Amino acid sequence: MENSFKIAILCCNYTNLAEREDLADIVARIEVKRYPCSGKIEITDILRAFREGAKGVMVAGCARGTCHNLRGSDRAERRVVGARATLKELEIEPERVEMFFVSRLDAGDFAEKAKEFYRRILKLELKERTQ
Amino acid sequence: MIIAERRPLSEILKNIEAYERIMVLGCRGCVAICSAGGDREVAILAEALRLGREKKGKPVQVLEETFIRQCDPEYLEPLKDIKDKVEAVVSLACGVGVNLIADLYPDIRVYPGVDTTFYGANLSLGEWVEKCRGCGDCIIDLTAGLCPIARCAKNLLNGPCGGSQRGRCEVKAEMPCIWHEIVERLTKRGELERLLEIWTAKDWRPAGGDGLRTRFREDLLDS
Ligand code: SF4
Repeated sequence: MENSFKIAILCCNYTNLAEREDLADIVARIEVKRYPCSGKIEITDILRAFREGAKGVMVAGCARGTCHNLRGSDRAERRVVGARATLKELEIEPERVEMFFVSRLDAGDFAEKAKEFYRRILKLELKERTQ
Repeated sequence: MIIAERRPLSEILKNIEAYERIMVLGCRGCVAICSAGGDREVAILAEALRLGREKKGKPVQVLEETFIRQCDPEYLEPLKDIKDKVEAVVSLACGVGVNLIADLYPDIRVYPGVDTTFYGANLSLGEWVEKCRGCGDCIIDLTAGLCPIARCAKNLLNGPCGGSQRGRCEVKAEMPCIWHEIVERLTKRGELERLLEIWTAKDWRPAGGDGLRTRFREDLLDS
């Protein structure tokens, strides 16, 4: 049976070098969507990921100052702010979407942050299910 | 430009509660420039409404469209075909667009997707500030180009009110006292005595106190 607990990861092509085994500790369905640059991730992409069933959306871009397109990850960060405001209006916890700045060539950093995010979303899910 | 702001999603969702197929209609005029109702905002609102309705277990189909303008009848013509395809339209144009749709297409249930707020300037990315109130009888030739109707919290014609402190407004400390600026600027220009002139009482009829405001330009009118 397909795992209904889904986490979407929206990231730029360069930030996510993690392999499946790097994320093996995450007991959720991981859906990775790559963009040419995290600055290309729109608020609509984040909202759509929720509509398509994600319980949490991790947005990942290059660490500040290392983006190929200079300000791509800063843009992504602003989009997360916009998406959070919309989620709040819809009475969905805004912290279900989060921006992460990750190092470009270190899969370990990315995997660590993904796990950290997964744990936070899991907590929210458990809280919701016990309510 | 005309500044607008998206209405709360809860209000828009309430307006479209009864429908299963709607259209979010943007405008590429002022509301696009002030990031309230252009193509991008149409996409965001459409997605937010879909998500909001799915959360309630009552999905809605949302079509997306953006017209060049909604304040000219010719640009609204595609609505003739659209009106049978959807049960309602949420317009992200300013109130002018919504009213014009309501006037010309009485069969369409049109709802405002934005609150139309003021005439303002875009000072920096994401920041808009009111500069004019459209009072129809401009006085800024007398006030060094700075409008006390729009930019003084008390709309004074003979300020400062006496409450300004260190150049800030007593009503809203984050805003400069515009009368303070007017006086400073005229002083610098050696034109302060202009404020001693007795102005005739301002005619507020062009501000809307005389009913619907219209404008005609004879040379352009179809005879
Ligand atoms: S302090 Fe200046 S801007 Fe504020 S209300 Fe008084 S005159 Fe107007």
